Amino acid sequence: MEIAAITEWECCWDRDSIVMGDCPNIGEGDEDLLSSRSRRILEKCCECEKFKRDMVRFRDSGHPLAPVFSILHADYRRQKTQIQSLANFLDTKTLEVRFLHELGSVLQSSVDLDEVLSVALTAITAGKGFGMNRAFLLLADKERHILKGHLAIGPRSAEEAGQTWQEIESGDQDLQGLSQLFLKDKLTAERNKFHDILERLIVPLDDEQHVIARALEERKPILVTDAFHRQDLDIDFARLLGVDTFLVLPLIARNRRVGAIIADNFITHRTITEQDMRSIETFTFPVAFAIERASLYERVQEEVDKLRQANLRLQEQQEQLVRMEKMALVGRITSSIAHSIRNPLMVIGGFARSILKNTPDSDPKRTFIESIVTEARQLEEVLGEILTYSDALFPTCDFWDPNQLVESSLRDVQERAVAQDYTCRFHAGEQLPEVYIDFKQTTYCIRNILLSTIDGLQNGVIDISTRVEGDHVNVQIVDRNRTLSEDELEALLTPFTETCEMGSGLNMALSRSMLDKQNIPLMVVAPPEGGVTYTIKLPTRKEATP
Amino acid sequence: MSRLLVVDDEANIRLLYSEELTDEGYAVETAGNIAEAVEKLGQQSFDLAVLDIKLKNESGIELLQKIVKERHDMPVILCSAFSCYKDDFSAWLADSYVVKSGDLTELKEEIKRVLTKKSQRRAAGL
Repeated sequence: MEIAAITEWECCWDRDSIVMGDCPNIGEGDEDLLSSRSRRILEKCCECEKFKRDMVRFRDSGHPLAPVFSILHADYRRQKTQIQSLANFLDTKTLEVRFLHELGSVLQSSVDLDEVLSVALTAITAGKGFGMNRAFLLLADKERHILKGHLAIGPRSAEEAGQTWQEIESGDQDLQGLSQLFLKDKLTAERNKFHDILERLIVPLDDEQHVIARALEERKPILVTDAFHRQDLDIDFARLLGVDTFLVLPLIARNRRVGAIIADNFITHRTITEQDMRSIETFTFPVAFAIERASLYERVQEEVDKLRQANLRLQEQQEQLVRMEKMALVGRITSSIAHSIRNPLMVIGGFARSILKNTPDSDPKRTFIESIVTEARQLEEVLGEILTYSDALFPTCDFWDPNQLVESSLRDVQERAVAQDYTCRFHAGEQLPEVYIDFKQTTYCIRNILLSTIDGLQNGVIDISTRVEGDHVNVQIVDRNRTLSEDELEALLTPFTETCEMGSGLNMALSRSMLDKQNIPLMVVAPPEGGVTYTIKLPTRKEATP
Repeated sequence: MSRLLVVDDEANIRLLYSEELTDEGYAVETAGNIAEAVEKLGQQSFDLAVLDIKLKNESGIELLQKIVKERHDMPVILCSAFSCYKDDFSAWLADSYVVKSGDLTELKEEIKRVLTKKSQRRAAGL
């Protein structure tokens, strides 16, 4: 066999060194290949068109090694392609592992449910993540045994998609940055945007036929295709999502069904591959755990708050107990002193009256004895008030008819009102609920107000009314005969102060104190144009406090 | 003349009651403690008793219960410096309750009212 001698080759493979421009495949950055022949052949020549033509010429030359060389060259190229493909696969996996690591770090470091959800849904939809168009998160309501739409992310129209994706691209944010941005600026807006869909995304957990419940039961993702014509999916559910292909990802932490994610390509309609499904499946485990942990943390926080509140209440009750003990002590001391004084006072007053009875009007000592009688009576009245005050420290409440309460108070002042030509008009409300009060103390308070109103005046009219207002019955006493200045009004409710208009003593202040202890507000309004209105709000429920 | 028994641990108060009620036309006996009162109740008959509640270390309520049990036809008026006893169930056994005061008008009126009621009941054969 004749072998044609080839002296000139088109490619530069036969030269030890070349200069830039000799090989069309060597450019800037490949300078070291110019002087390294073996590397140049392996990296560049094998793929070069000139080299291929040289190989054809070599084969045609009839050289016995030419077929062998062709076989080796072809196998080398196949292996190189294979290695390249493996390298690409490895790169993809490296990126995926890096992405999952980043995601895992963020998820593991957060106990804020909204932050976790933001990260999860951003990861599914971000181009740097799994690149799906939309994601819906359904969370398990364990009490109602349902999965319910909680949050969604993604565009609702192609126009919105273009705008959002452009923004994201120009922002050049990493996953954490994107999720933080979502949490800060878009979470509420997205929730509102998808409100109509989220409200209707309800799946009974025990509906074994439903594709989402099934994904949870089988603990694996399901790629739903042809959604509008499936037996295991309600057509309304498919219509709600508006796509015929979507991915269902169950979220399971330990053996607890936390929720599910539905992801789709609503805008691009890009095919969801098996590879997409497997990648996202890996990611759902840390998400489920993070959601479970954040939910538990939220619940723990709620319990901690409750505990803190309970502690506060306990502290308040302890303080109240101490106050009550102090008040009880004050009450006992007051009562003891008052009773110790009362007996000698009674003897002084009693004997003074006896002497007075037997003293003729002409006796000059009669004035002195009368003074003793008067002063002793006044002291007895003060003692009576002090004793009433110490009694008032501990009200005994029960349910009473508010009209009966007012009528009882009116009976107490009737005699005095008639003597001073005063008219008390009672406008009793009809069908009033019972009020929770200390009857004795409250009657005393109303009587005090009426007496203060009548005190020192003649020919007047007082209007008293009862009527329901929410959880209360208001007792209103309107006195149109008096005008009080601001100072007089303040003095009226302060113990042991005297106003020229309303007399002196403890009465009104004591009334307010008694009502305060029952958590019953007494409001007094005295406008400059005249008249005084007293309003007492009596609770209709044990716990009703204004 | 109606016979009254006044029981109070304060000598001056016993004297005051005695003077005032005698002036009103009653025959008044006094006792300073429960034992003395029981003794007098055993020796004489009375139309009405006026009892103080706080008798040093004793309780007028105890004496009231004894009278109600043994002399159920004799009315009792409790007279005390403590208005709070008005709400005490055990004091409800008494026919009346008066808060002590230097002005004995209320006590006198109550004595008259209770005695009148007693005579009316007796006349009615109750």
